[in-house]
Amino acid sequence: MSLKSFSDDQLDALQETANIAMGQAGAVLARLLDHYVALSVPRAKPVQAADLAATVSAMLGPSLDLAVTAVRQSFQGRLRGEAISLFGTEGCSELADLLGHESGAGAEQQEELLLDVSNILVGAVLRGLGNQLHTDFAFSAPTLLGQEQGVAAILRRGPVDWVDALLLEVNFRLDPRNFSCHLVLLLPEESIDVLRQALDRMLGDI
Amino acid sequence: MTRENEQRALLEAVFERINVGVLLLDDANRIVRWNRFMATHSGLEADAVLGRDLFDCFPELPASWLKRKLESVRLLRNYAFTSWEQRPYLFRFQHDRPVTGGVDWMRQDCTLIPISDSTGQVSHVCITVVDVTDASLYQSALQEANTRLEEASVRDGLTGIYNRGHLETRLAEEFARVRRHGGALSVVMFDFDNFKRVNDTHGHQCGDEVLRQVIRRTSSLLRAEDLCGRYGGEEFTLLLPDTPVEQAVRVAERVRAAVEATPIRTRNRELGMTITLGIAGYEENLGSHEQLLDNADKALYRGKREGRNRIALFDHRLDGQG
Amino acid sequence: MATPVLVVDDSTMSRKLTMRALPADWNVELHQASGGEEALALCRQIKPRLMLLDLTMPGMDGFEVLEAMGREGLECVVVVISADIQPKAEARVLELGAVAFLPKPVDAGQLARVLRENGLS
Repeated sequence: MSLKSFSDDQLDALQETANIAMGQAGAVLARLLDHYVALSVPRAKPVQAADLAATVSAMLGPSLDLAVTAVRQSFQGRLRGEAISLFGTEGCSELADLLGHESGAGAEQQEELLLDVSNILVGAVLRGLGNQLHTDFAFSAPTLLGQEQGVAAILRRGPVDWVDALLLEVNFRLDPRNFSCHLVLLLPEESIDVLRQALDRMLGDI
Repeated sequence: MTRENEQRALLEAVFERINVGVLLLDDANRIVRWNRFMATHSGLEADAVLGRDLFDCFPELPASWLKRKLESVRLLRNYAFTSWEQRPYLFRFQHDRPVTGGVDWMRQDCTLIPISDSTGQVSHVCITVVDVTDASLYQSALQEANTRLEEASVRDGLTGIYNRGHLETRLAEEFARVRRHGGALSVVMFDFDNFKRVNDTHGHQCGDEVLRQVIRRTSSLLRAEDLCGRYGGEEFTLLLPDTPVEQAVRVAERVRAAVEATPIRTRNRELGMTITLGIAGYEENLGSHEQLLDNADKALYRGKREGRNRIALFDHRLDGQG
Repeated sequence: MATPVLVVDDSTMSRKLTMRALPADWNVELHQASGGEEALALCRQIKPRLMLLDLTMPGMDGFEVLEAMGREGLECVVVVISADIQPKAEARVLELGAVAFLPKPVDAGQLARVLRENGLS
């Protein structure tokens, strides 16, 4: 698979759809944290299972690459795939602080908080995508992939049942604070075809 | 029965009998559906709870937290989850392992699902409760085993102190830290004097016992943040973070004196034992942690040449002498 | 005479959607820009009456376009059409001189109302 199999129009539509979905998720996050959330321009990239860690590392940049905490969640529906949220270590404690948790909160509470926030973001982004593509999703429970580890170590984990996938990345940042979250959506090959058809329908409507 | 009614009856049977707790809450958190799993495990039949406030029926629920979670499900129209790993249970239910359990209450994974009515508004929230007690016990056991394995892979089998691999990893980390943030770092390498003679005369078992006892004595002189590791054979390394070389000299001298002062008592004999120690400190011109280790080794070598049972500090004049 | 209108968005699809949302009976002369710098250059050159501006764009973003327009004193009615729908984003663009803030995907009825309110179309 390569993004060449997407036409320029399809790619543009995908990026714009992701942009809108991310804007809606950003608004949810902003309401949750009571802070303005700076949004990045979403990125779409084809990725092979073997290169996933390297690709994600490159997206995060050197400051985050060394120690991240990651939450994984899968979604099902006509489009299925996995979402991985990556938080910087400082971001995790910032998050607890922003949500008014005392610094004395136990490790379990901190973890639960992280799972909650990432669940809310993933849900919001996918609901945004689903609304535009006229499809909806069911979600499995989020789980911690790893804490305060290098991206490579975290993404090496677990069985990988795909070879090619489409990676969509969005990035939320709280400017005055040290909080940032990179949300990576991975769509396996069979979902890419479904996505392409949905984008075509959208483009046909214009 | 019409076909539609038949379908509905089937679904109803599934809802009742499924081995997962299912309950449905209206917009005021009143219970409107309650299946058999919930009734069995809570001891409250459906007619005792239907129409009642969830939190009145179960005062032990974490009310403020769960209410907030239910609100977010309605507001964001989003699924929400709880996992036993962070929150062992939502409902205080007996589990099915009264004898072999080892946990107090049933471990649960719960899902909160927004349910929309025909107008698209979230009218209800469905909560599912899955009994994961077995899985949680299994996973806890696995985690313990993994921790032990991980420990074993960084420890030296004979002396119980860190092995060379772990020592080098930690040294590399400390080296990188000092290089980035400044500060001090010292390394002491030491070797037993004439150890071959102990092994040859009294056997390897006796030799092993000597190593163990000396290591125990050495470890008792170190701070919690210091690290003692076996570098190989009878060669050992002390990693002393935040320690300038002058202070490392004092630590080394204390260790040397402690070993010399008291003979090692093994099962049927007493053996006088001495060690030689080489010391090197972090310097900005060092290219890598290996060079720091190498400097300590050179100092140790000089100490041996100068007559053993002594400490020797690395000196740049040693460089190139090998 | 046709009213000069500038549509600024990095996405082709989004520009098309925006242009389609303009009132069908309005006589306009449409110009497009796919980024902030290009938008400013066109703005100086064609002096549009109306600019429909996206916020999140690579390079110079919508906020920066508004700031630059304020600095240079470029006169133009700006309606921001944004995927970023946070109240603070809205407050900031209004403060920077935009007359309205509409969420994406843009609604034709909403846009028509804003245009009427500002004496356009």
